[in-house]
Amino acid sequence: MTAVSAEIRERSVDVWNGTVKLRFKIAGSAGAPLIYFHPAAGLFFDPFLSALAVDHTVYAPEHPGTSAGDPDAIHKVDSIWDLVLLYEEAIRRLDLPAAPVAIGQSFGGMMAAELAAHFPSLFKSLILLNPLGLWREDLPITNWMTTPPTALPALLFRDAQHPAAKAMFTPPKDPEEALSRTAHMIWTFGCTGKFVWPIPERGLHKRLHRISTPTLIVWGADDGLVPAGYAKEFGQAITTSRIEIIPNCGHIPQAEQGDTTMRLVRDFLGSSDADLDRPREVSR
Amino acid sequence: MKVSALAQAGYRNLPDDFERHFDAGVTTPWHLTEPGEVHAAFRDYLDCLMLAARLGFDGVGFTEHGQSSYDMVANPSLVGAALAYATEAENLKVAINPVGRSLGKAREPVRVAEEYAMIDCISGGRLIAGFPVGLLYDASINNGVPPIEVRARFDENLPLVLKAWRDQTPFAWNGKFAQHPCVNIWPRPLQQPSPPVWITGIGNPTTFQLALKNNFGFNYFGWFGAKLTGPRIFERFWETAFRLNVPQNPYRMGFMQTVCVAETDSQAERKFARHIEYFFNKGIGAVPLEKLAIPGGISLPGIQFILRDHAGDFGFYAKMRTAKFAEIVDAGAVVCGSPETVTEQLIEIARTNRIGNLMVMLKVGSMTRDLTEENVTLFAQKVLPKLRNVWANEPWEHHWWPSRLGGRPAATATELTATGGVQ
Repeated sequence: MTAVSAEIRERSVDVWNGTVKLRFKIAGSAGAPLIYFHPAAGLFFDPFLSALAVDHTVYAPEHPGTSAGDPDAIHKVDSIWDLVLLYEEAIRRLDLPAAPVAIGQSFGGMMAAELAAHFPSLFKSLILLNPLGLWREDLPITNWMTTPPTALPALLFRDAQHPAAKAMFTPPKDPEEALSRTAHMIWTFGCTGKFVWPIPERGLHKRLHRISTPTLIVWGADDGLVPAGYAKEFGQAITTSRIEIIPNCGHIPQAEQGDTTMRLVRDFLGSSDADLDRPREVSR
Repeated sequence: MKVSALAQAGYRNLPDDFERHFDAGVTTPWHLTEPGEVHAAFRDYLDCLMLAARLGFDGVGFTEHGQSSYDMVANPSLVGAALAYATEAENLKVAINPVGRSLGKAREPVRVAEEYAMIDCISGGRLIAGFPVGLLYDASINNGVPPIEVRARFDENLPLVLKAWRDQTPFAWNGKFAQHPCVNIWPRPLQQPSPPVWITGIGNPTTFQLALKNNFGFNYFGWFGAKLTGPRIFERFWETAFRLNVPQNPYRMGFMQTVCVAETDSQAERKFARHIEYFFNKGIGAVPLEKLAIPGGISLPGIQFILRDHAGDFGFYAKMRTAKFAEIVDAGAVVCGSPETVTEQLIEIARTNRIGNLMVMLKVGSMTRDLTEENVTLFAQKVLPKLRNVWANEPWEHHWWPSRLGGRPAATATELTATGGVQ
């Protein structure tokens, strides 16, 4: 994927009766609205988001507690129910010109799915990249929060030597910046972990059937964190979904197989308008 | 100075290469154990604490660790109940001190209040109520509490326990983590409004403030190497006390030190070195950092403090899994030697850091029953008597000790303040 850097703006939205300021990073201005839900490690405005910003206005919320200077916001949100309502409130307050597309990766995929299940008409379409949210005993999900940092590249990437893996795990040269980034990432894991610990499943399996939005499920075939077997679980539960499995790819398809992921996403977004009301079959 | 004995029920027969293959907590394979050895571990553990009670220690202490090979005490209230009755039956005037039930781990805080109240009643008012926030691996992995909620649970559970002990009329509790339509526990503790409360911590300033503002004792464990960490932690505590205008009464401070004593220094090393290495290599040293410091369990400023400070509060923890005797002693994680050596070092530690309550762990790692008895007995005969008067020349009263045992408990705050809130 060509790295295009987009100009990033910020907007804070007062939610939760004024007790939480939910911060959005925004890029692009011409296109239809798209909301991106970040993974457990937090929001990084990567080439994938920059590419999406070419023909969409990308709104990327920062999970409560993970915005710079506001770590205690996480203590205002106690349950997945709180979190879903808070996000719905925030999206409503954005006053978008049309129902947005939602894309969520890993933890963000779970959040996007939860929102789509709670509020079936909230999103125009839904893209889930290796989402968390379900649990099967025979498909164990690795606990990333107790994984030593040195083992994370191999957990998240099929090829731990992939340039995207190196970019992600090479600390900044400036020691103060490196410390700040490490501390922020640890805290972010803690903030997102509040809603997936100890088992990343909060009853989503009972709610997935409520999703009626056209949905694309993308999974890296070699995901070491959330096994690709979960793609079928999501696909079967969401009757309006289609599954795409990307070979030679781990947990972060937009980083490890960026071009393929982008092509699948663009194809889906290009076609989903026409198919909005027609249920899709699980293709794989 | 009050001197108590602390013991843990560790499994003593783990394979020599255990620490190279296994962790000492959470995932430790049970198949490594043998039933007879498990039975013996518990028997020798309780006998060690009873021996200490008979030999005149001021208190007996014990800890809580779920799913851990180095301390198989999943619930210290059970130990407290056994000791409360046995010491009562022998008329031993000794404090019963569960160092504690972790209130960050506890999902049933009212049950904790009930269990401690029962221990106080069985012992006739000799309970010292210890409440650590809790180890993250125990609270979060073993008991499933999200790491970011561990401190928040502690902050909610402690006032609930205190209210359950103190209030004379039933009350409803509408908490974030626990809701009860009617709390009216039977029995209430004999010590009213509350047995002395002690918080064990690792040096978090928020915990210091909690203890100081609410008149709780604060207890620190020296396993990370008291020579490395002690001066930092104690100084930080007393500075906080000074800032809060709290008197520098040494009796509000407790310290737990691992101690091995024999007739001479060289005998002590010969007798105890391998057991000490067993404890640190196969015990807490074999609990990996990623299970002790799980994201969310430490606040963002706390993480920044630790990263910036090169983990100074954690002493020689990073080396513990392979540390040899000399390194362990150099770090101050163990005081080992003749009665003279040990006495001198313990008095020095107590005086320098204003410690009014010393807890000594005399049963260490793989020590046999006989060696444990030797250690406890020699300490009681030759060291203990010399420690008693450390603070005798200063006019402090002990407000954090049961009145039945000579303490003069001060009125505790009626409502808990400064409970840390957001860590």
